[in-house]
Amino acid sequence: MYSGDDDEYLDEDQEITQEDAWAVISAYFEEKGLVRQQLDSFDEFIQNTMQEIVDESAEIEIRPEAQHNPGRNNEFMGETTYKIRFGQIYLSKPMMTESDGETQTLFPKAARLRNLTYSAPLYADITKYVIRKGEDGEEEMEQEDLAKVFIGKVPIMLRSSYCTLYENSDKDLTELGECPYDQGGYFIINGSEKVLIAQEKMSTNHVYVFKKRQPNKYAYVAEVRSMAETQNKPASSMFVRMLSRAGAKGGSSGQYIRATLPYIRTEIPIIVVFRALGFVADKDILEHICYDFSDTAMMELLRPSLEEAFVIQNQQVALDYIGKRGSTVGVTREKRIKYAKEILQKEMLPHVGVGEYCETKKAYFFGYIIHRLLLCALGRRAEDDRDHYGNKRLDLAGPLLGGLFRMLFRKLTKDVRGYLQKCVDSGKEINLAYAVKAKTITSGLKYSLATGNWGQANTAGVRAGVSQVLNRLTFASTLSHLRRLNSPIGREGKLAKPRQLHNSHWGMMCPAETPEGQACGLVKNLALMAYITVGSAANPILVFLEEWSTENFEEISPAVIPQSTKIFVNGCWVGIHRDPEHLVKTLRQLRRQVDVNTEVGVVRDIRLKELRLYTDYGRCSRPLFIVEKQRLLIKKSHIQALQQKESPEGGWFELVSKGFIEYVDTEEEETTMISMTISDLINARNNPNEAYSDTYTHCEIHPSLILGVCGSIIPFPDHNQSPRNTYQSAMGKQAMGIYVTNYQLRMDTLAYVLYYPQKPLVTTRAMEHLHFRQLPAGINAVVAIACYSGYNQEDSVIMNQSSVDRGFFRSIFYRSYRDEEKKQGTLVKEEFERPNRENTTGMRHGSYDKLDDDGLAPPGTRVSGEDVIIGKTTPLPQDETGTQAQRYTKRDQSTCLRQSESGMIDQVVLTTNADGLRFVKVRVRSIRIPQIGDKFSSRHGQKGTVGMTYTQEDMPWTQEGITPDIIVNPHAIPSRMTIGQLIECIMGKVAAHMGKEGDATPFTDVTVDNISKALHKCGYQMRGFETMYNGHTGRRLNAMIFIGPTYYQRLKHMVDDKIHSRGRGPVQILTRQPAEGRSRDGGLRFGEMERDCMIAHGAAHFLKERLFDQSDAYRVHVCELCGLIAIANLKKSTFECRGCKNKTEIVQVHIPYACKLLFQELMSMAIAPRMFTKEVKQLKSDQSKKGA
Amino acid sequence: MDMSSSYQRVPSVRIREMKDDFLKFELRDTDASIANALRRIMIAEVPTLAIDLVEIEANSSVLNDEFIAHRLGLIPLKSEKAVNMLLSRDCNACDGDGRCDFCSVEFTLDVKCTTDQTLDVTSQDLRSSDLSVVPVDSLGQNTGSMGDAALEQRGILIVKLRRGQELKLRAIARKGIGKDHAKWSPAATVTFQYEPEIHLNETLLETLTLDQKREWVESSPTKVFDIDQVTQQVVVVDPEAYAYDEEVIKKADAMGKPGLVEIISREDSFIFTVESTGAIKAADMFLNAINILRQKLDGVRLSFDTQEADDQFGELGAHMRGGL
Repeated sequence: MYSGDDDEYLDEDQEITQEDAWAVISAYFEEKGLVRQQLDSFDEFIQNTMQEIVDESAEIEIRPEAQHNPGRNNEFMGETTYKIRFGQIYLSKPMMTESDGETQTLFPKAARLRNLTYSAPLYADITKYVIRKGEDGEEEMEQEDLAKVFIGKVPIMLRSSYCTLYENSDKDLTELGECPYDQGGYFIINGSEKVLIAQEKMSTNHVYVFKKRQPNKYAYVAEVRSMAETQNKPASSMFVRMLSRAGAKGGSSGQYIRATLPYIRTEIPIIVVFRALGFVADKDILEHICYDFSDTAMMELLRPSLEEAFVIQNQQVALDYIGKRGSTVGVTREKRIKYAKEILQKEMLPHVGVGEYCETKKAYFFGYIIHRLLLCALGRRAEDDRDHYGNKRLDLAGPLLGGLFRMLFRKLTKDVRGYLQKCVDSGKEINLAYAVKAKTITSGLKYSLATGNWGQANTAGVRAGVSQVLNRLTFASTLSHLRRLNSPIGREGKLAKPRQLHNSHWGMMCPAETPEGQACGLVKNLALMAYITVGSAANPILVFLEEWSTENFEEISPAVIPQSTKIFVNGCWVGIHRDPEHLVKTLRQLRRQVDVNTEVGVVRDIRLKELRLYTDYGRCSRPLFIVEKQRLLIKKSHIQALQQKESPEGGWFELVSKGFIEYVDTEEEETTMISMTISDLINARNNPNEAYSDTYTHCEIHPSLILGVCGSIIPFPDHNQSPRNTYQSAMGKQAMGIYVTNYQLRMDTLAYVLYYPQKPLVTTRAMEHLHFRQLPAGINAVVAIACYSGYNQEDSVIMNQSSVDRGFFRSIFYRSYRDEEKKQGTLVKEEFERPNRENTTGMRHGSYDKLDDDGLAPPGTRVSGEDVIIGKTTPLPQDETGTQAQRYTKRDQSTCLRQSESGMIDQVVLTTNADGLRFVKVRVRSIRIPQIGDKFSSRHGQKGTVGMTYTQEDMPWTQEGITPDIIVNPHAIPSRMTIGQLIECIMGKVAAHMGKEGDATPFTDVTVDNISKALHKCGYQMRGFETMYNGHTGRRLNAMIFIGPTYYQRLKHMVDDKIHSRGRGPVQILTRQPAEGRSRDGGLRFGEMERDCMIAHGAAHFLKERLFDQSDAYRVHVCELCGLIAIANLKKSTFECRGCKNKTEIVQVHIPYACKLLFQELMSMAIAPRMFTKEVKQLKSDQSKKGA
Repeated sequence: MDMSSSYQRVPSVRIREMKDDFLKFELRDTDASIANALRRIMIAEVPTLAIDLVEIEANSSVLNDEFIAHRLGLIPLKSEKAVNMLLSRDCNACDGDGRCDFCSVEFTLDVKCTTDQTLDVTSQDLRSSDLSVVPVDSLGQNTGSMGDAALEQRGILIVKLRRGQELKLRAIARKGIGKDHAKWSPAATVTFQYEPEIHLNETLLETLTLDQKREWVESSPTKVFDIDQVTQQVVVVDPEAYAYDEEVIKKADAMGKPGLVEIISREDSFIFTVESTGAIKAADMFLNAINILRQKLDGVRLSFDTQEADDQFGELGAHMRGGL
């Protein structure tokens, strides 16, 4: 034990325990909360990106166009040029301007209730330069500064640093009508809460080499999607491909390597590209590709390429070769060369540089791409993994809004330019205040956030579903929604790979929480401690590298490259270094001291001799304990300091800045050795021979943190079959509970609140940080696993009616209805009132009695069926010609309660919306008592509906007189292997007896035996079985029953919302077939498969009844001569076919209405569908007779 | 009817422990059907009073009207009067909407919080129109002994009010049975167990060492057996603690000593435990249950072979006649 280290004796420097790790985790969540990625990303956008976008926009320069002014002397008045420059921007707190012009700060509660947008005005300093050129050519410059011009409103993320709620105390939040547990991270657009879902994409500026599956023209492909840091263009891709042996026909040695360049139609041999870049000699080129001339295998692979480009031996020819294959046709050679040069400079690999004199850098990078391709072709390195998470980047709210804002700001400047140009041309004085159209940005941002269509309306390349309405069913579902991410790969794509769990997802993505079905594996959720980098400038790193003797290309000869390490910053090769070991060490040291941004990724690839540094945004990273010499750097004393809050700034940040913990991103993670637990480290120290590793660099904070929000609610997930955890992760989002503490102050369209929610007896440690105890979604039910009466077969459960009477799983259901007094023009305005049958048309069937004089049903009114709850009318346009007064002056526009629902009016909010129009929201409440058919589930993917309710005396009872609340069928267990539920049950029993919470955190050392022993001590059968008695007969049951408290959830699916039947009812207007859906009192579809059954059965008449008589039976009258539909007047009993001049030979035919529609449609396209009731032959003979 | 005398028994009851809300007794010389009938009647058919109709005049509390009405319903009321009252559906004196002494008791509640401190509205704030029908208050009876804690916590909590909130309502309690709604059930728990007979095999036990004996004794989760300090012999201390979990039998088998103990459950004697909610005394619950059972049997006997059987048992009437 005491291996000689003196400090081991000191209590202070003791190794921390797993329990202590939870103190660290608490510190993390206390400081960061659960939606930090969203908030940080948005703050980065507000604080930096927005200004950068404004700064990068070029000056607007306007000079008057020569105008054709006939009749006026074209005297020279001297030219005036205007220059407009946008400067500093300012963002105020969220504001709202009422229709009367009054402006005040806006609070989220008001925004939600009044359907407003929670946004803050954005101002910018604009400088106008007027440059007058006199006749003598001298310039005179005038400068005018416009301070703080309003340029638009930017929606503000709740709880971000520009939100009104930022850094408010819990008490203040409560007074503002906010839930203190709500952590923000979403926007409020027109009153609805919107989340921006993180979008996954492949990382740019990264070389990927893939082996093509043969047969294919190419054997290997290297690709780079290059994008300069401050560029808004879509990434420009470059491919370097090696032809496969079979693919190269004719060539002796075959495997040419060719590259695709942007805007160039065909592939260009790589050597030609080098020559075009100015590297003509073969030796120069080879030096840039394979560095080491003794590497004959690699050199040999380049031979065919050299031979291929043999004919092009100078730069001009090479450029011309490229230029000829560009998009310009029929221009001079000089122009072609210039064009090719431009392409090489500006379009090829823009991340390396787009300025002049980048050729060397570009050639090195291009050579590196080929080098990587060859390494793969030689089998020295495996092909790259497309699904590795290190190769993925996540676009969060910041970058998403940044892209949108850049586009909109460009549009704004373009519009400004257009307007000013017009002013200048027509000789008007220019007024900047009129030129800046703030609506561009305001409505542009609002449109995308409201609809989820990312990008400008009606343009190509919009992504749908980026912004979603925040799920408010349960608190956990809200949290989970704020941590969701989406991979925009086609859902139909059959490729399974991108959907599978990848080893690099460890600690970043929840392994359990993903939807089932089409989006399986494409929609993911962040693990609890995962963090997404917001990005920092690369410059400090470059400066650092410079200081630490990194050699750049101008200084080195390619021959030294094989001996030294290549250094990449954000994928761009910046130079080489000869002592990477030392460099990495210093860099890490600086990062741990927070001298270098903690987000920076330092990846040292020893095999490839590369050092890759990353500062870009969107990388997944997670904190880990730092280990040195098989020992954690963090010590017991630090934990104690943390717990006692010794230093005022103490907390998570201090742990990071003291270098106990660091953030490691997915790519860097591959170069670390992480121990799973602290005890692994201790073991490794004590028995170095048996240890898995003697070079641990990091240690997991806790392995259970690999799970996400919904996965962390599951007790003992490590004892369940994995799909069950996935099912529960989906079901946990449908459970009822308390979704926010301020639910009474909100008017959500739908809300479910549980009557008596309980915190679970069996908890996980992570729940503490999810506030699952404060905002629970379930009840600790006494659950017996037994067959009893048979009413719990096939995933149904028996429920104790007496428990239900006492309030078990009762819940409140809220539905809000909204309406507003719309305005059409200046005169026509809708009005809330009680419609009067005397002067109002189009009144509903329902009762209007429940309306008050103001046209609204008052709170406390019992409403049901189609009762009118908001009375509203529109004035009808008065017919002025008619002297006689119209009977109806108004049209009814009232809102009725949903026909299948009933309840009480809970609350009515009458206010004005953004346009100053009267606006009302009415909330209806109804109590839902569990009944047969309602859905419940445990926390282990075991869902079931109530199959029967029994009163207490009918339930089986234990010797102590305990009756179960729920009886589930034992057949639900073996095939599903949800052992976690069984362990939860016995642990719940122990916990209930000891009056403590049970700890069901995964990957701890709790065992069933431990729990069983504790249960035995409590005086119960150790495995949780109890003898029970039949409630009906009083006899003892033969089998002992497994019974104990298990946390159950009530799911939102309830029979009352689904029950539906119809005899006759409404039909669709077009087809006259029964309507569809319960809400429209629709019919039940007799579908194709049902039809097949009837055909097989031979029930022809029944089939006709279903599909014809009970659907859209119709009759038409058909002329017997031409077979077309005739005119029938049934009242006068006259029939006529005008075409045939036939009034007698007409028959009645019964056909479906849809069939009649088809015939008419055919007729409309000049096809005559004729119906003949007699045999055709006979008809023909009839006709021939007539003709004769 | 040929009543075979061989089935006739004279059941006996021996009371072991009796408190207002607790009763433990033995029921002997009868079988499970009778014992279970009594249990079921005590839970589901002994009538009590409970609030059944609530008219809310003002409610600005955080709980909605239905919520408060449900909570009021669940408050147990002293229901000694219930036996002599009428079910409101059988009451001819009124149309069933309360304010009738034969079938209902009226309560009022009017509380408003005027201080900054949270005000607890409890069952003690309910004002009854009948002093014999009041909410049960288990603490109220022995406030003196419970000290300050008891003084502060008074009655059953209905809702908490903050400053400015108000609750004003009128509630009507009616007679009912637990079958209709659990609020009318006077029973917290009614349970019985078959009396176990435990026979130790002394000779086989002697073959065990003291440690083995101890191990075997410990294997029972409940304290049924013990080891005599003096003789070091296994003795049965409390046979009724045995929960038929068969742990000791399994343990004996596992130790290679099957037949170490024999446990028989007696099919004709039962140990009852009755706990009352406080609505009526536990003992009265039992007596009422016997009366109700007797009335039911009378009903069967009187309507035997008559048309009333059909009315009495509804659809089952014909079956009853045919079956007997």
